[in-house]
Amino acid sequence: MHPMPQFGSFALILALALSAYTLVAGSIGLFQLAYNRPGRVSPDRLVETARRAGIGTFIAVLCAAFALVWASFTNDFSVAYILHHTNRALNPAYKFSALWSGQEGSLLLWAFLLTAYGFVLRLRYRTDVRLFAYASTILAAVQLFFLALLNFAAPPFALWTGDPQPDGFGLNPLLQYPEMVIHPPMLYLGYVGFSVPFAFALGALMMRYPGEKWIRITRRWTLVTWLFLTVGISLGMHWAYAVLGWGGYWGWDPVENASFLPWLTATAFLHSVIMQEKRGMMKQWNVWLIFTTFMLTILGTLLTRSGIVSSVHAFAESSIGGWFTTFLCITFAVCLFTFFKQRKHLATEHKLEAIVSRESSFLFNNLVLLVLCFTVLFGTLFPVLSEYVQGSKVTMGAPFFNRVAVPIGLFLLFLTGVGPLLAWRATSLRSIRRNFVLPCIATVGSAIMLMAVGIRPWKVDALDQQGSIYSLVCFSIGAGVTVAIFTEFLRGVGVVRTQTGRNFISAALLLTRRNNRRYGGYLVHFGIVALFIGLAGAAFNQSHELEMGFGDSITIGNYKVICQSYTQDSNPNYDTDFALLDVYDGPKKITQMAPEKRFYTASQTTSTIVAIHSTPLRDLYVVFEGRNLETSKPIIKVFLNPLVSWIWIGVAIIIAGTFLGLAPQFKAALSTATAATPALDLQSVAGD
Amino acid sequence: MGILAAATLLVALFAYIFWPEQNPFTQRAATRLDFLQERRDAVMANLRDLNFEFRAGKYPAEEYESQRDRLEAEAATILTEIDVLEAAPTPAHLV
Repeated sequence: MHPMPQFGSFALILALALSAYTLVAGSIGLFQLAYNRPGRVSPDRLVETARRAGIGTFIAVLCAAFALVWASFTNDFSVAYILHHTNRALNPAYKFSALWSGQEGSLLLWAFLLTAYGFVLRLRYRTDVRLFAYASTILAAVQLFFLALLNFAAPPFALWTGDPQPDGFGLNPLLQYPEMVIHPPMLYLGYVGFSVPFAFALGALMMRYPGEKWIRITRRWTLVTWLFLTVGISLGMHWAYAVLGWGGYWGWDPVENASFLPWLTATAFLHSVIMQEKRGMMKQWNVWLIFTTFMLTILGTLLTRSGIVSSVHAFAESSIGGWFTTFLCITFAVCLFTFFKQRKHLATEHKLEAIVSRESSFLFNNLVLLVLCFTVLFGTLFPVLSEYVQGSKVTMGAPFFNRVAVPIGLFLLFLTGVGPLLAWRATSLRSIRRNFVLPCIATVGSAIMLMAVGIRPWKVDALDQQGSIYSLVCFSIGAGVTVAIFTEFLRGVGVVRTQTGRNFISAALLLTRRNNRRYGGYLVHFGIVALFIGLAGAAFNQSHELEMGFGDSITIGNYKVICQSYTQDSNPNYDTDFALLDVYDGPKKITQMAPEKRFYTASQTTSTIVAIHSTPLRDLYVVFEGRNLETSKPIIKVFLNPLVSWIWIGVAIIIAGTFLGLAPQFKAALSTATAATPALDLQSVAGD
Repeated sequence: MGILAAATLLVALFAYIFWPEQNPFTQRAATRLDFLQERRDAVMANLRDLNFEFRAGKYPAEEYESQRDRLEAEAATILTEIDVLEAAPTPAHLV
């Protein structure tokens, strides 16, 4: 007998039953409340038991996840999943991450995170009992789908039916990297988390929730989820950069695209929701943005797990595609039906008054994000469409995506700077002149300066010309956006200083604390600028490849890389081949790098460990490609990638900005400040 | 061992879910008045932002005046409806 797999299987069946109860009891209770038809049990009591069953679901799934991790740590190879994804010599951190390294385990992680979000939602039910009950019931339906999948289509505790094995087959070497311990959970937290805004939006629409409170709740959940997805995608980019060894971080792979699609629609929602909160506009649009975001997460999962499209990341072809397709169709039908039934409830309170206004900039931003989303979706699904139409799969490569996404991205960057400078409702010509002078000077001035220091697209090869033009435009717009952000902030600080007599830092802090959401948003925009600067650096990448014996060298940019030695080593988990390379910047030795090629014994596969020397201006990126079988000398490929660090710096700034935006508003602090300085007029309302 | 753990989990969750709770936490449902109060707060916040941005030099004076007039008119409409609803007798089920 195998007690832990048995316990895990039972916990999953129990979780399925509890989810079903949450859905059925919650639906009956809410129906009785909505139509004032009490049954034998009071509807409030029924809804309360449904809430508790939802909490119970989380406990049961937690037990199942614990059982699988336990089986991994105790090398219980009677469980097929553990046999296929671990081995005895595996590092304990990777034994833990084996939980999400295969189809069944990652679905269990998905169910765990989904029920964990549900747990938090159900604990916070007193915020608005009825709305949270609707959201909890809808979330239970989503939970039910994933738990049914785990119980019937992809059971993680299925026993190995072959001969007993002394050791496991090992973990995929690509996953044996520290970031892989946190990248999937972060990405899943983002992916799974969009179920919660979806549940709130659908629930609010079903109950015809009066008012905008639900949208505020939804916005915060979306922002948290968006943050997780941003972190998850960035960690994935960094993993691809550090492990795959091709010198890049984003290859427009279908699985990368699958995570990018909901990020785009969620970003659109986070902007357009401001219009609903401030002006009662775009209600139907916002509801559909949330619905679409959720459905894109399901579609992404379908692409990742069904084998519909090929990818280095995708799980092997499996039979669960049909499950996801059915669920996607049901979800779409429910959304469409609810929307048409309740659409009068979503009537807009104001109309767009002028083309040049803050509202229209949000609208443009949304349209551009959706165009990008549609383009990426089209490119990702093109192999499926082409197979359907002409019988053979035609894959869209990175050039297609870059050709479309880069100009759209630059236009979005431009809007990032323009939007905050426009007034609500309508912006006059005088106002435009007043607000746009400095950013325009910065844009034009930086373009002239960059051309003066040598970025001259007309002087490079025709092949690289487009990239060079785009990077010049990106740097110039980036300068303009940065100036726009800082002038906006400094103007605000100026008002606070005038009215309170505070020093600059104190005034800046007070201003930020008073409207952390706005200035958090500005910080995110600044992070986007930094990220774009990093992306634009790719136009100037260089690479060289050479077979390197002792003392051989490669020169790239300012760097000279000299081979000091190359050797082999081994441990119980893998054998490794590596070179020791001294790096000189001019006459000075700055570091020693050791790129590796590993051969993992259990899985009989190889993996590359890239050596990276990173500075704010450029990355020196060295790959051990293998050995020449005749000379046994290592083949080394060296890349010089300018400005890559700014991508990671940009992400860190985006994270900081999102945290700032999520922080509770410091009204108490402002009240104290206001009391101490009666002249402060920030709180006063014109006309009061 | 596995069966014992499973039975413990089942009994504990069953007791938690169906333990007789005589007075589940309830709230009155949100109403049109709640919605109007939210809108009033939003319009007041918009007025504060407008005032602040004017002081920061973002708007010319005449543009500021016209925007403020429109927001004040919107606030007045909302406040009037709030007054009407607050003056009306409250339905028994909302008390």
